[in-house]
Amino acid sequence: MNRLVTVAEMTLRELVRRRGVLLLLLLMPLTFWLIRRDSHVGQSVRALLLGISWAVSTAALFATSAARELEPRLRLAGYRPHHLYLGRMLGLWALGLAVSVPFFLLTVFDANNLRYAGIAVAMLCCVAVAAPLGMLIGALLPREMEGTLLLLTVVAVQMLLDPTSSAAKLMPFWSSREIASWAVDHTDDGYLSRGVLHAAVVTALMLVTVAGLFGVRLRRRRHLRHAPLV
Amino acid sequence: MNDDEWLRAFGAELHQRRVAVDAARHVIAEAATHLREGGGDPWLVFGPPQAYAAAIVESIGTAPGPRPGPVRLHATGITKRYGRRTVLRDATLTVRAGQIAAVIGANGCGKSTFLRICAGLISPDAGEVTVAGRLGYCPQQGGTIDFLLPDEHFVLVGAGQGMARGPARRAGRAAARQLGWDAESTVLARHLSGGTRQKLNLTMSTLAAPDVLLLDEPYQGFDQGSYVNLWDQLARLRDEGRAIVVVTHLLNQLDRVDTVLDLTPAQQGGRR
Amino acid sequence: MDGDRRGQWLRGVLDLCVLGLLHDGESYGYQLAQALDTAGVGPIQGGTLYPVLLRLQRTGLVTAQWREGDSGPARKYYQLTDDGRAALRHGGNAWLAFVAPVTHIVTKGVDG
Repeated sequence: MNRLVTVAEMTLRELVRRRGVLLLLLLMPLTFWLIRRDSHVGQSVRALLLGISWAVSTAALFATSAARELEPRLRLAGYRPHHLYLGRMLGLWALGLAVSVPFFLLTVFDANNLRYAGIAVAMLCCVAVAAPLGMLIGALLPREMEGTLLLLTVVAVQMLLDPTSSAAKLMPFWSSREIASWAVDHTDDGYLSRGVLHAAVVTALMLVTVAGLFGVRLRRRRHLRHAPLV
Repeated sequence: MNDDEWLRAFGAELHQRRVAVDAARHVIAEAATHLREGGGDPWLVFGPPQAYAAAIVESIGTAPGPRPGPVRLHATGITKRYGRRTVLRDATLTVRAGQIAAVIGANGCGKSTFLRICAGLISPDAGEVTVAGRLGYCPQQGGTIDFLLPDEHFVLVGAGQGMARGPARRAGRAAARQLGWDAESTVLARHLSGGTRQKLNLTMSTLAAPDVLLLDEPYQGFDQGSYVNLWDQLARLRDEGRAIVVVTHLLNQLDRVDTVLDLTPAQQGGRR
Repeated sequence: MDGDRRGQWLRGVLDLCVLGLLHDGESYGYQLAQALDTAGVGPIQGGTLYPVLLRLQRTGLVTAQWREGDSGPARKYYQLTDDGRAALRHGGNAWLAFVAPVTHIVTKGVDG
């Protein structure tokens, strides 16, 4: 438990000290919101949610890439793989929640007639999915540039796809779009439950994949045997 | 040869004769004080460094401790290919508790690869490694976290062994002091100089008191004094019974190691 | 020839001389060397003196500690222990018992 918390804490400390990155993290959802501000409020809420998703997954991607050299070392220092990826994920989730709070308040003060609980749940789903997604891409693609481009593609496709198409349901952030509809357009509760279920499934899938990847990368090598200390 | 040079040569002689590090430091300091107060040529006052070191050994003996101890690292038949290029062929190394082994060879002969295989970070195509006890590994670079303080590195590494924060910080600072570095700074790792960052790197690898310590050219960016401190520290760890493997391309400190593994291919172009 | 013989005698009694000087109170290497020279034992080089001091320290006849002096750098001060005092008494008596007959015999030759 202590190891998990320590990794989470150091992930947070590290990210919070990257002031430039943090500023851009906050700036991106804000601009997304402002650009769509004049049109339908639903558009700006959806853009804001995508902005948060993009920001948190990018942070996760960078944190994962930055720790690439360090993790084998921590493994030798006594950490198990799950301490490393779960700890990092916890840190990223905490950061994502902290980043979401001001944006939630923004929707409360800047828009009327919304189901605010829905906005909050949608943001939670974004953060829940974004952290493991960024970590997954960071673990698969060793270079940050490639990872960033892939992430950009995912978010752009998500934005452009017709949400009612079946392909859209395969996208990681489809949940937030469904829940946003419930919150903005006051659609039936099916939207909310479908969204939450989608987010839960996607998060779980991503988590398992990340666990698998880390487990393989940080596995005990077969050629190395440990003898008892005499 | 001036006083400082004589003292340095004397220190090297003491190390070579396996005089315990702290005892050696006292003897050297006392000789330095004597020379400062009385003046005179050290060659006349104390004689040749070798002879005086021998006299000291006769008086106080050498470092205690069993040597060589039990085998701590045993790597046999390590072979590694990248594509069609064979980087390592049938490399074998045995290191016992209380020994320092040097892995040497030309650039690109697979020194770092060999060390990474010993650490279990990459798999060989053939061969086995047996390690007794805990492993510590210090990479050539990139083992530190840019946006964390030295103390936070110590806490993070220490927690892996279930160490509480306070003791981890103290252990880290104490190990850093042995390298002549005051780690109580509030400077992020990315603002540390290359040599200091390497000291942080090294301190992280010794923090958890590993039984087998693998170091990949640990002295990058070190000045002369830090370099001497490093070897003092390694001698101290060896005397405590650790098994140490150092990858190095500098040959002048080989007189302070117990075994040498030369990975330079015996026959150039003889690859199959 | 004279120097050689002197060196041999010194090797036999330098430890007793050092213990004797420390009997008057603690001291450090350079001061001991000067005191021996002043007493007429002859110039003792550091290379001879410090191994003796280290051996005395190892066998517990003296203790040592590093301290800043009133002026000047930190020095390693040596103090006599109870064992050292006993060794001095014992060894000193043995030396006197040895040197008295030698003096007696040699004196006749010198006077004659």
